[in-house]
Amino acid sequence: MKRFFHIIKHSFGTVTAFKLRTFFCLISVALGIASITIIVAATEGAYERAFEMVERFGPDSLIVIGGSEEARAVGQRDKTISLDDVEAVRQAFPSAYIVVPMSGTTVNVSYKDKKYRTRVTASTSDYSRAWSWPVIQGSDLTEEEVKGLRNVGLIGQDLLRELFGDEDPVGKYIFVKRIPFQIVGVLSERGTSPSGHSLDDRIVIPLTTYMRKIENQRIYISTFRVRFLDQSNLNKHVEELRAFLRQRHGIINDQPDDFRIISPQEIIKFLVALTGSLVAFIGVAGIICLVVAGFVLANLFLLSVKERTKEIGIRRSVGAKRKDILVQFWSEAVILTGAGGVLGFLLGVISSKLLVLIAEFPIHFSWRAFAIGLALSLLVGIVFGLQPASRAAQMNPVDALRG
Amino acid sequence: MPLCLMENVKKSYKMDSQTIEVLRGINLSIEQGEFVAIMGTSGSGKTTLMNLLGCLDVPSAGRYVLADRDITNLSDDELSKIRNEYIGFIFQSFYLIPYATVIENVLLPTLYMDRHKDGSQKKALELLRMVGLQDRTRFKPAQLSGGEQQRVAIARAMINNPEILLADEPTGQLDSKTATEIMSLLVSMNKNGKTVLVVTHDPGIAGYASRVIQIKDGIII
Repeated sequence: MKRFFHIIKHSFGTVTAFKLRTFFCLISVALGIASITIIVAATEGAYERAFEMVERFGPDSLIVIGGSEEARAVGQRDKTISLDDVEAVRQAFPSAYIVVPMSGTTVNVSYKDKKYRTRVTASTSDYSRAWSWPVIQGSDLTEEEVKGLRNVGLIGQDLLRELFGDEDPVGKYIFVKRIPFQIVGVLSERGTSPSGHSLDDRIVIPLTTYMRKIENQRIYISTFRVRFLDQSNLNKHVEELRAFLRQRHGIINDQPDDFRIISPQEIIKFLVALTGSLVAFIGVAGIICLVVAGFVLANLFLLSVKERTKEIGIRRSVGAKRKDILVQFWSEAVILTGAGGVLGFLLGVISSKLLVLIAEFPIHFSWRAFAIGLALSLLVGIVFGLQPASRAAQMNPVDALRG
Repeated sequence: MPLCLMENVKKSYKMDSQTIEVLRGINLSIEQGEFVAIMGTSGSGKTTLMNLLGCLDVPSAGRYVLADRDITNLSDDELSKIRNEYIGFIFQSFYLIPYATVIENVLLPTLYMDRHKDGSQKKALELLRMVGLQDRTRFKPAQLSGGEQQRVAIARAMINNPEILLADEPTGQLDSKTATEIMSLLVSMNKNGKTVLVVTHDPGIAGYASRVIQIKDGIII
């Protein structure tokens, strides 16, 4: 064993002696490993982002959106869910500790001479609690404000910046569809949604006010959110809720739902699918790169073995056994691809930084990305280095010396 | 017992469908401490004989005993071990590893020892001093003259303290002055107790030997 250790140590010197061969092998392996590193990092990034989203969304939450799935594509959802539905759900599901109806649309708002287009979200009281979204200035919507159809609102950070700049907004009035609303609170920074919209670009007003004064109706809402105490039964609740709403809406047999239930799982699916296509593309490219790298390696090594026939003869004449020669050439290959793997990882880190600059793309590097890259690169060396190495070992000393 | 004993050794090669018999029954005995020259024209089979003596190859027939061991039927690994421990080769075209330094070339046989010994580095430096190359340890072979390269090869042959030095036309690529230097180096090795075998076609070189064996058409005459 110690003998092989010395031979492998010796191989490190040999690798640096054949610079051109080393260069080409390194580059070809590194390119493959770089792309695979990006894949692993992107996959991990996507999952991390997904779980972050779910955490924000609430791992115990469901959102029910009115309108069928087909209508969603047009962006114009039908109003199919009524306030009565929401009340019925609240009665029927005892473990649903929060059931909040919501509506919303895009409106023009103005303050003094500043005009801006933003999203209005209509909610019941305790918006902050229902969404785990802290109010950092002023106060949340109260029950009295909702019941009293008061013209009050909470604003997000984007809207704050657009309309008020450095001014303190609490207590000021802004116009929403030419109706004055008093700002009572400011929400904290929330970031972007999975589809890239800023969540901070909004004003939150009482649902009652919204329905009567902006929509001029008193029955329908666009969505509602449910949070369950028993998070582990969430999937079961999704089915129960679907059956419950289908029955209330009189949908029978194979007629499609006129609503859509979004669960945390679906968010994860959505995000993973988002990253999936890119991952698949780079993945295929990476595997092809690695296989090509393997063949490049095998060919260069076969050539090298041929070139170094005399050297093999010399080594055999001073007492190298067949397996010593095998170990030498094989370890040369594995050392090379291993180094290519490390190089590839660094290349992957750099190029993914560029990728993040070009497209908003979740990337997360961990020891796992590094380990997978290194393992794959060593595997390439082991698989593709064997044949040339055993060819070197097969030569008999007399023929090898003759060259 | 002699150090090397060959009894009716034959060696034949198959070429296409023909069998060419290169050695046709060699009987040979070499004692410990001898300086023997094996002479013959090219094609006489002297290199084949040296390959057999050096355990680089095995006879097709006959028996070869080296240092009381019958090596006729040894495995490839066992032959390698014998080459490593008993034999030091010196070749006509030096056969140094081009990308390795002088000292690395000298140390090459120690890489394949069964039990790694400490002090190899020191021994190598000592040998390089003995052949007069103590200033060239970090040189590459290409930076050395032919005579210097052959001296590196001699140091390499000596590193594992072998029983026999086997030299195949050791001066074939050297001018006569350098050839004399190399031969006197071999003579001094022989004086220090090494058995030396030189294969040559040059009578001048054979003159250094205490015994000359003539080979022609695969038999000793």
